[in-house]
Amino acid sequence: MPIILENVSLFYSKNTPLEITALKDVNLRIEKGEFVGILGEKGAGKSTLIKLFNGILRPDSGKVTIDGLSPSSKKVKSRVGMVFQQAADQLFCRTIYDEIAFGPLNFGYSRKETEERVLEALEAVYLDRTMLSRNPFSLSGGEMQRVALACALALRPDYLVLDEPITGIDPSGKKEILETLKKVKDQGTAVITVTHNLKGFFPLLEKIIHLQEGRISFQGSRKEYLETENVPLPPVAAMMRELKSRGIQVNPAVFTVEEALEEILRVKSIIEKEKAEKQPE
Amino acid sequence: MIRLENVSYSYPDGKPALSDIHMGIRKGEYIGIIGRNGSGKSTLALHLNGLLKPGKGKVMVKGMDTRDISRLQEIRKIVGIVFQNPETQFIGRTVEEDLAFGPENLCLPPEEIRRRVERVLAEIGLENYRYHSPKTLSGGQGQCAALAGTLTMEPECLVFDEVTSMLDPDSGKLVLKHVKKLHEKGKTIIYITHNLEELHDADRIIVMDRGRIVLEGEPENVLSNPFLLDLGLTPPSLMDLAERLKKHGVMIPWEKTSSPSSFAEEICRLFLKT
Repeated sequence: MPIILENVSLFYSKNTPLEITALKDVNLRIEKGEFVGILGEKGAGKSTLIKLFNGILRPDSGKVTIDGLSPSSKKVKSRVGMVFQQAADQLFCRTIYDEIAFGPLNFGYSRKETEERVLEALEAVYLDRTMLSRNPFSLSGGEMQRVALACALALRPDYLVLDEPITGIDPSGKKEILETLKKVKDQGTAVITVTHNLKGFFPLLEKIIHLQEGRISFQGSRKEYLETENVPLPPVAAMMRELKSRGIQVNPAVFTVEEALEEILRVKSIIEKEKAEKQPE
Repeated sequence: MIRLENVSYSYPDGKPALSDIHMGIRKGEYIGIIGRNGSGKSTLALHLNGLLKPGKGKVMVKGMDTRDISRLQEIRKIVGIVFQNPETQFIGRTVEEDLAFGPENLCLPPEEIRRRVERVLAEIGLENYRYHSPKTLSGGQGQCAALAGTLTMEPECLVFDEVTSMLDPDSGKLVLKHVKKLHEKGKTIIYITHNLEELHDADRIIVMDRGRIVLEGEPENVLSNPFLLDLGLTPPSLMDLAERLKKHGVMIPWEKTSSPSSFAEEICRLFLKT
């Protein structure tokens, strides 16, 4: 059973002069095991949208169901794990062990089961066991982000929801977090992430949801996204599209450096061949 | 303008953060500093206006030693720092008050404070947010307000420590545009980042690893250096592509790799010429 949103609208400061439409008539469906990217400019409603997935926010109209359940039921809370952008905002325990154990203990798992889960989650985010006794606030931003991710993973969620998980992290740290997320996805958990970092996430995304002023302006596969006008693209894809629009017959649905290299060289050899054939005339 | 001589610094727990850093920053220069998390970039930034003092060696700002407490205020007037999270540096209830805080502390006459606040509000385009609380601003506006708060001190040199890493791409570009404008106006800029694509216009790039400077040079040479990968840094993808095309005889000049459209334009020029 998936996450389903039907005709969902949400307003901030409703019925006041400051009313803001955050989401309008949103319909979407996210299956277990999918890797979904939620894209859009700031203020488009991305962070509002994901807060509906585990009942932090409730829609003003329309319906949200997770595996057929209402998002406010306790069962859903352990199935949908959330990691926010500012990891420091969600950490509050005295040691990293307590921090990661907080969720499982709260859901009534035994001490032994909890310990197993803590160690498993810690390993999944590439942190060392020696860190368990440290205070979360003595960590660097990147490490804090990983602890927050471990906290969500310790509940072995069916859906992992993330808000900009790799901002402010250096490239090798980004790579590790992306690897963790890929592994989590391969184990059958849906990974749903809000991101601006197309370069890092694009190769992983299977499905893309693009929000614009609170509405879904695109929902579909990565391939379909690459063929859509007026959406943000990673630099290589943007360049390939530009080439195509300038009359060079490349496949514009290409986004990695390797693919682009191959594609440009392929077109180059065709152009050179044509030129060589024309020369004798 | 700023000179670091054999600077070493260790954290209170004894872990070395900077080892034997030797560098000079000329007036009006635009320097990019890159390196992975924990390589010492921010520690270095905090040394540039005496927020941290070197354990060994010395930092000289216009001939003044940052260890000399009597010169510290003067040094901080010359070198301003803007940090990653703007919220950590707001003090005033409104943007206007926040901008006035620095010059007030310098005991400047009220007319002078007003003149500076007005000038900076206009320069950074924050006039409409003058009476807003800085905490209600969006990420991009907030970072601009933090920059504005530094600018009212009229520093000659500005240090930016990962100012765009928490912003969306559009807000990031806005902040970067201000950085470039300040450089054009003759300010000395030290720009710390993870995002190598932002450093296309720098005069010089310094790469740090484990508290040391491991690579230094013009962006053209540094950003395409394969050594970066060993340091956990990825070169900008279009630059990477240009570098690989070069091996196949397709020469894309460095300055054309700064944007997808200039890159595509260059390929068209190369491929379609008769």
